[in-house]
Amino acid sequence: MSLLSIAHLRKAYGGVLALKDASLELRAGETLALMGENGAGKSTLIKILAGAVAPDNGEIRVEGAAASLRNPEEAHQRGLRFIHQELNVVASLSVAENIFLGRVYPRRLGLVDWRALNARAGVALAALGVEHVAPETIVSKLPVGDRMLVKIAAAFLEDDAARARIFVMDEPTAALTKEESERLFQMIAALRGRGCGILFVSHRLDEVLSVADRITVLRDGETCATLAAKDATKAGLIELMTGRKDISGERGPTAPRDAPIVLAVNGLAGEGLRDVSFALRKGEILGFTGLAGAGPERLIRALVTSNAAEAVTLEGAPVALRGPADAWARGIALTPRERRAEGLLLKRDVTRNVSLPHLERLSRLRWLVDRRKERARAVELGRRVRLKASGPYQKVSTLSGGNQQKVLLARAVAGAPRVLLLDEPTRGVDVAAKFDIYAFLQEITAAGASVVVVSSDHEELLRLCSRVAVLRDGRITATVPTEGLTPQRLLALCYGDPRD
Amino acid sequence: MPILLRRYGTLIGFLALIAFFRTELPDTFLTARNLLNITQQMSMLAVVSFTMTVVMAMGDFDLSVGSIASLAGVVAALVFVAGGSPWLAVPTALAVGLAAGVVNGFLVAYVGILPFIATLGALTVYSGLAFRLSGGKTIFGSAIPASFGGFARGGVEIAPAGLAIPNLTVVAASALILVWLFLEQTITGRRLYAIGGNAEAARLAGVRTKRLKVVAFGLSGFGAASAGLMIASRVASANPTQGAGLMLDAIAAVFLGMTMSDEGQPRVVYTLLGVMMLGVLGNGLTQMNVDSYVRDMITGLIIVAAVAASSLGRSREGGVL
Repeated sequence: MSLLSIAHLRKAYGGVLALKDASLELRAGETLALMGENGAGKSTLIKILAGAVAPDNGEIRVEGAAASLRNPEEAHQRGLRFIHQELNVVASLSVAENIFLGRVYPRRLGLVDWRALNARAGVALAALGVEHVAPETIVSKLPVGDRMLVKIAAAFLEDDAARARIFVMDEPTAALTKEESERLFQMIAALRGRGCGILFVSHRLDEVLSVADRITVLRDGETCATLAAKDATKAGLIELMTGRKDISGERGPTAPRDAPIVLAVNGLAGEGLRDVSFALRKGEILGFTGLAGAGPERLIRALVTSNAAEAVTLEGAPVALRGPADAWARGIALTPRERRAEGLLLKRDVTRNVSLPHLERLSRLRWLVDRRKERARAVELGRRVRLKASGPYQKVSTLSGGNQQKVLLARAVAGAPRVLLLDEPTRGVDVAAKFDIYAFLQEITAAGASVVVVSSDHEELLRLCSRVAVLRDGRITATVPTEGLTPQRLLALCYGDPRD
Repeated sequence: MPILLRRYGTLIGFLALIAFFRTELPDTFLTARNLLNITQQMSMLAVVSFTMTVVMAMGDFDLSVGSIASLAGVVAALVFVAGGSPWLAVPTALAVGLAAGVVNGFLVAYVGILPFIATLGALTVYSGLAFRLSGGKTIFGSAIPASFGGFARGGVEIAPAGLAIPNLTVVAASALILVWLFLEQTITGRRLYAIGGNAEAARLAGVRTKRLKVVAFGLSGFGAASAGLMIASRVASANPTQGAGLMLDAIAAVFLGMTMSDEGQPRVVYTLLGVMMLGVLGNGLTQMNVDSYVRDMITGLIIVAAVAASSLGRSREGGVL
């Protein structure tokens, strides 16, 4: 019997398609694994199921009946339960309160019945085999793994009004120990026995192959295959996730191997990174990648706040970088990962956004803003990055995602930097803007700039970079030239392919 | 219409206010003498509001300005009592104000206390300090040199009829020009607005946000001390509570101004309009013999109405962000 069926789901953010045509079917009493590369659309699909975002198109049926899932309450009422990847616990509340978050607290005489609350939370925890976490404990005192267990227990909390039938688990084991994971798998097995269905999302191939009954693979927002787990192999799955894309002919020129080293990093640590060392040559684009949480998302932050002269050497001279201001001052430009939250002054115009780190160079008498010079620089750079804006005074919040990214890029190169550190330079960017950005990066590296690109888009790395470094658990586990490298091989390196 | 109301609502209200007082007080309100009088009455509030705009451009507040103003007046008076000249007293008081502001900035930027809490604490400490130094008494009489008290009564003659621009008005106008230059024309001002726009983005774009916070709070302390000296000069005395009313009015003036500016940014020229509105309101209602408590209520209602009209207009536009 079909518990949950999704047909032809489509969702676009701005002009960017996150889901093109996703379909899957979850049957009663089975575990269905949902797999796909970063950006394949898994998170969007889960958000739609959770009632957090509305699809543009497509149909969702729960136990045969059409379900709109307009908000989280509705999803809960229809018997869906979620274990999200992000740890959204309220740290200042107790374990029991977190487990009951959004549910009806047990009451007595109109007041919260704390004893019953703790008792019922205790039952939910015990079902998971978690005995070392007391329901009264304040969550802020718990380590990350235990917090995850609290979130998982919350999903298993009995609710008489709306029985749970479908469990959606997004990377539930990411913060768990091996024993805790085992315990979770036992729970999953028990739920299956009771006729529940589990939609299981994980980056861990071994886990998927041992837990799942069937596997559905998403690629570029489309369902590309569904197969029985017993017929699946790791290599086969990786190939399904990446497709048979051959992009070897589209690679840009790479820097000569004997070009001088511009930026040398030696034993960089902090921000969850350990012993990260690499050398960036003049005119080179060096890529960094890894699965979510493995370290690439923290690399640039760690680099510009390393504060240790022995770790970072710029053109042969050791530099102590105590923050972004030091980096910019030394000719190291950066574009942050979250372009709206960390990058742009959304309510300001293009000119002010581009000039921000370069005001000293654009000044008159050292102190005063030279508006004419500032505007001219913004216009010139806007043209170079192929920015599509109505003019230098257009507010950046009214630009498309791709053009916002180009504003950040224009800002980064406005000071003619020696090194650019780019974090996800094309995330959420439409295809045309993406190619503009690639072309621009190849242009400036040909002119002698050196670039570090952190990206989860492997196709992008293979197209742009001369070498790619793979991070796992905060370490560089491999640095490979992109020549002859296939997307399959690169993804396998991220997963820590046992063939190594 | 809603958009018009949002952008110009406060301005229309201001003009309506002037029209109202003109009809109610046909002989005394719109006269050159009264208008000059208003500029003098609001000069102290103006100076504090202008430097408050600097802090609010970063998205922060300074609640301690009233205490700093009182403290500066008391410090100057004590220097006079000890036999010092205005040439010593004024710089000393200004330095104390600057230092008090720098302490605020340090607490906010480097210790990481929310500006609301940090300056609330500072408000109490500086106020207590002013009481301690003055012994809780008003310092007046022969200790205050005539040149100091005379400054506020003096002015720049502009007509043979005896009309003069008051010295305090000249001080406020100079403060306006300086703060305008600083916020609108210098690169430091540009960076302060960047912090107000998105603090994390500004930091990642190389703006030294902590240092700038200290600068901004320091300026706010300096402005508050200037206003404290202006008050002390005007009444030729100093007591530990005479600056107390400045803080709420200054924040109100900046908010009134923000309702008129594009994107709700604090801009010093709009702050001037906010100050003028409060000044006109106070002057007109006093002339109409309206009780001061009623005056406070009306002032409060106008501020709430202006900000409400502006934010309602904003959310009706779609509330994109």
